[in-house]
Amino acid sequence: MGRLRELVVLWAGRNIKLRYKRSALGILWTLLEPLMLMTILSVVFSQLFRFQIENYPIYLLSGLLLFDFFNRSTLQIVEEIVESQGLASRIYVPRTVFAVATVLSYLLSWAIALIPLLIIMLVLGHPFSIALVTVPAGMVLTGLFALGIGLLVATLGISFHDFKLTYQVLLTAWLYATPIIYPIEVVPEEYRHWFMLNPLLYLCSTVRDPFFLGEVAPLEVWLVAITFSVGTLGLGWWVFTSRRRAFDYHS
Amino acid sequence: MTTTVESKPATLAPSISLEAPLELADVSVRFDIPTERILSFKEYVLRRLTSKIERRELWALKEVDVKVNSGEVLGVIGRNGAGKSTLLKVVSRVLQPTSGRVVIKGDLAPLLELGAGFHFDLTGRENVYLNAALLGHRRKDVDDRLNLAIEFSGLREFFDVPIRNYSSGMLARLGFAVATMFRPDILLIDEILAVGDAAFQDKCLNRIEEFRSSGTTILLVSHQYHEIAQHCDRALWLDQGRVAAIGKTQEVLDRYFEALSIGQT
Repeated sequence: MGRLRELVVLWAGRNIKLRYKRSALGILWTLLEPLMLMTILSVVFSQLFRFQIENYPIYLLSGLLLFDFFNRSTLQIVEEIVESQGLASRIYVPRTVFAVATVLSYLLSWAIALIPLLIIMLVLGHPFSIALVTVPAGMVLTGLFALGIGLLVATLGISFHDFKLTYQVLLTAWLYATPIIYPIEVVPEEYRHWFMLNPLLYLCSTVRDPFFLGEVAPLEVWLVAITFSVGTLGLGWWVFTSRRRAFDYHS
Repeated sequence: MTTTVESKPATLAPSISLEAPLELADVSVRFDIPTERILSFKEYVLRRLTSKIERRELWALKEVDVKVNSGEVLGVIGRNGAGKSTLLKVVSRVLQPTSGRVVIKGDLAPLLELGAGFHFDLTGRENVYLNAALLGHRRKDVDDRLNLAIEFSGLREFFDVPIRNYSSGMLARLGFAVATMFRPDILLIDEILAVGDAAFQDKCLNRIEEFRSSGTTILLVSHQYHEIAQHCDRALWLDQGRVAAIGKTQEVLDRYFEALSIGQT
């Protein structure tokens, strides 16, 4: 177990190193990208749709960073696992190592990307609440959920090379189905219960509420978020590992 | 620059036991090969709905029953597709057998493809740590052995340079150095490596010989029959996944060549 833990940490470090080596701006890019994205989106959406949200940039960015993490880490899990097929056909190493390492490395990037958000809060004079201490817990839950989804998608991604494209389309739909750019209040009452089936809605609330509302998310939100995360991870892990034999025989 | 031979044997105390460190009990491996390769999800869904996907059975290994003794060198021969690589995969746990059991006692080092998981943008040092971790070694053990490995590879002045700048010979030397950093109880070799210059090849052979004399069991797959004759205590002849013969190296080789000349296999 200690061996695998060391390998996961080492592999996560490798991913981070490679990620920043590839772009000339390096870590600065992680800080700049959300700022630029946020500026564009908040101008477009707040002017275009005129949501009645005070400090919309904070609402938007705190949710968008969560989705960005989810988006990148799940896609990268598929990539890593498909890539590790060659490796795993030569060396005995559990493929889940690469998935866990991917989530860890993107959690770190997410944490770094929160710095610009804190700066914007400062600039806008938005209050900092003690509730912010619960943010890491929400991030970890989102990480578990991403790991579960990533493993499920990777299971299909190994067998079918085009499934990743299908998933990318799904991701776009998922972004717009989650109240991140818009507030849930703009959804007509009669459709709202459909939106409540979306796990990301609850995960988003655990991370966004401390930033935007200055409050810890309600207990029932946490409970639903935990259930979705742990359940998805359990399912993903089980589906993926029980297909192990098939993967071996595939390559 | 690669003439020094290791003075200190890179070994832990040899673990000598009377039990067979490697045993294959009635091992079979079956591949279900789809008659057509379906790679796209869309295609799969359509085919699933309209017709059955046909598969062909192929037994890569069939009822293989082999015991390898401690410190023994077993050579594996056979024609292409006879199951030699599958045997190595099963022993290295990369492939689970369809039926049967593989018992391994001790550490196993595959010397199959060197430098698995190397990344070109990382330095020699970074790659050594990653590769060693993939092979199952702890960081602190690698710390202890790092200097010996650097010396063995003869790459000290290039060690903190991205391996993008290495020649293929240098890469192979780095790969071999990590793979043989620790003395394994079982060593898997797929063709004796023709890597680097003659001096480095000698070093590699010396390292393997060192392992062997301190009790490492070796499984050697090769088409170079003089190598099998020279190095192996026993030989195993695989034919269409089955054990065609196992025993004294020369006897098995003789029978194999006889069969080849008659065109029996």
